[in-house]
Amino acid sequence: MALGDAPGVFRAARREAYQLVSSRYALVLLVLLPLAGFALVSAIFWNRLPSDLPVAVVDADRSLLSRRLVRMIDATKSMRVTGPFASPAEAFDEVLAAQAYAVVTIPAHLERDVKRGAAPKVVLYYDALRLIPGSIVKRDVRAVVGTLSAGVEIQARKALGETPDVAAARFEPVRSMRGALFNPGLDYLAFLVPALGPTLLSIFVLVGAVHALGAELRDGTAGEWLAAGGSATRAVMGALLPQTLHFTALGLVATALQFRLLGIPMRGSPLLIALATILLVLAYQAAGLLIVAFSANLRLASSAAAFYGGPAFAFTGVTFPTFGMPVAAKAWGALLPLTHYLELLLGQAMRGAPPSASFAPLAALAAFVVLVPPLALWRMGRVMRDPSYWGRT
Amino acid sequence: MSAVLRAFRDEVHGALRDPGALLVLVGAISLYAFFYPTPYRREVLKEVPVAVVDLDRTPLSRQLARMADAHELVRVTSRPASLAEAERLVLRGNAGGILAIPSGFERDVKRGAPATVGVFADATYFLVYRQALTGLAEATATLSAGIEVKRLQAQGMPEAKALAFRDPLPLVSRPLFNPAEGYASYVVPGVLILILQQTLLIGIGLRGAADLDVLGKGSLLARATASVIGRSLAFCLLYAVHALFYFGIVARIFGFPVRGGGLAAAALVVPFLLSTSFLGLALSVLFRRREAAIQTLLFTSLPAIFLASYAWPPEALPAWLRAASQAIPSTSAIPALLRVNQMGASLAHVRHELAVLWGLAIVFFVAAVLSHAARARSSSPA
Repeated sequence: MALGDAPGVFRAARREAYQLVSSRYALVLLVLLPLAGFALVSAIFWNRLPSDLPVAVVDADRSLLSRRLVRMIDATKSMRVTGPFASPAEAFDEVLAAQAYAVVTIPAHLERDVKRGAAPKVVLYYDALRLIPGSIVKRDVRAVVGTLSAGVEIQARKALGETPDVAAARFEPVRSMRGALFNPGLDYLAFLVPALGPTLLSIFVLVGAVHALGAELRDGTAGEWLAAGGSATRAVMGALLPQTLHFTALGLVATALQFRLLGIPMRGSPLLIALATILLVLAYQAAGLLIVAFSANLRLASSAAAFYGGPAFAFTGVTFPTFGMPVAAKAWGALLPLTHYLELLLGQAMRGAPPSASFAPLAALAAFVVLVPPLALWRMGRVMRDPSYWGRT
Repeated sequence: MSAVLRAFRDEVHGALRDPGALLVLVGAISLYAFFYPTPYRREVLKEVPVAVVDLDRTPLSRQLARMADAHELVRVTSRPASLAEAERLVLRGNAGGILAIPSGFERDVKRGAPATVGVFADATYFLVYRQALTGLAEATATLSAGIEVKRLQAQGMPEAKALAFRDPLPLVSRPLFNPAEGYASYVVPGVLILILQQTLLIGIGLRGAADLDVLGKGSLLARATASVIGRSLAFCLLYAVHALFYFGIVARIFGFPVRGGGLAAAALVVPFLLSTSFLGLALSVLFRRREAAIQTLLFTSLPAIFLASYAWPPEALPAWLRAASQAIPSTSAIPALLRVNQMGASLAHVRHELAVLWGLAIVFFVAAVLSHAARARSSSPA
């Protein structure tokens, strides 16, 4: 008897592989859409940092000093000045029409009042509903006005008789040297793409597993499938194996590509990341198995997979960190393999953390792979053998 | 006309007897509205753990550490002996930022030489970075301002004048539309609109393409038109209720800023729901199996949210992608509805998005009718 003819994992895997290769839908779902998804998120953050964000300036002074302020804002990489606007109302209209992220109002007599030491106030109104551009504009307008203000102070100190050196030393007694650890360019591509890629992968692995197992129940072919495997465990393993190989290869290649092609730094252990990627694929296949086993209905299982995989990114702590979440959200996040995977990936790739720092997330990923399948298989065996579960949609 | 009513009635009856579709078209609406915002319930990330490396160990350096700890955005959780040790804490994710006070810090300040402290934050997680850096830098600036004002007062300058002297051109920053700068207020209202679009597209896909044979004996094109109008009417009426629930009730339950809405929001919701239903109907022809709608559309939520001009600025998108993304209703609907509902913009401020949404409604209507007619022709034996 040739290898693969006897019932077992291999025969079940060969049966599934034939079905996948002959199905145009499988090609779309398992190959085209994941590739399109990876390409799309890379394209979105291709420019790495927003630049030339429009800022509406209302200059009621039109003095040398106020014009200098406007020029300095315009000269930043992150911002460009729109206008001129005659009144604040006109400038706020620009924000409401999405033509500007902020309004800067320069009061009349700015230059005169600065010379008199009256500290006239420049006001920045920034859009706090569009948080990323809003906070970039806030940070950079503050830096520009701070620089200008320091320059005026140094001039005033010189006027009081301080030498340039003394004035420069005294204008700010305690200064902070600021630095970004691990992502010095504050690069959104390096921050979001390594997180969004695996998020998409987790969705496709989950959907693919649910589809492979659920379609056998929907089409009533579970008997034939069980026969190919010889046992429920071997049949399930066989049905998932082609996708395990496919998604592991896809995940590893996509991860390698993002570090090589997109120039995202990779400071830690590629081996650990590769191991975690394999565990991520297995953990989401286990989750898919659990969902199909307990719903015994492909459409219901697809809805449950959508609920489990769709909003996951919000719970992983990449955008809003876990330690700031309420307990319930933290707990839900901990039940998602993606949370642990991203903790490991960002720790390794971005920070270059020591391998020991990645032990906890790696163990959590392994726990999904070890603990979920026995429970799911116990129930799946019954569903596969009982024809009353077949053909439900 | 009777064919339109027939298509409408059939869709309502059919959907009511379709638990799988109801789960998405009705159940998911409330479920996601209350589930999705849970990570952000606390709105503002505060008390980010930071490490203070105090190599000076003087009253002034201890005062700076106390001021950092008192800042609401950070909390001093460890005091490692060296910068290297502090970096290890950040590497392991146990601290989000470092305040490094060099030895000789107090001495320099007393001598009148500029003293520099190191303020570092973990940019692996952007929100951690921003809060830690802001908290530590503001605490340092406050200490510095106090010292400078005291010095100027010692030279005989009155306090008010000293304050103006040390910052002759002060900047006042005012957040617009989201006074607390809450994270949920920023993320959730846009995601709610995306949930409307995604569940509607998937729900229509689950209902499947229509059987035109039941709509009488008119021409294929007339029957396809009647089917598309009648069915999308059913979906739009249901989703108008959902939109009212989201914008009127959910936004208030969570305390999101609400500054407008009403007629301007309604004027946007109509073409948004029409274009989304027509798109859903056009896509439903592609799905041979009903669950294919969930399986293929699930991943699109993530890119769609970043294309919708609010989580990521459109100025930063490649030009071709910015143009292509106009084909997705949420790309125009999310920013326009946010401006109307949350910022109090008028219809004039969103006229560009309004025009795009009506354009999409027309294009997707034609696509839905033609695809249904083509499908019926290829499947009928005659």
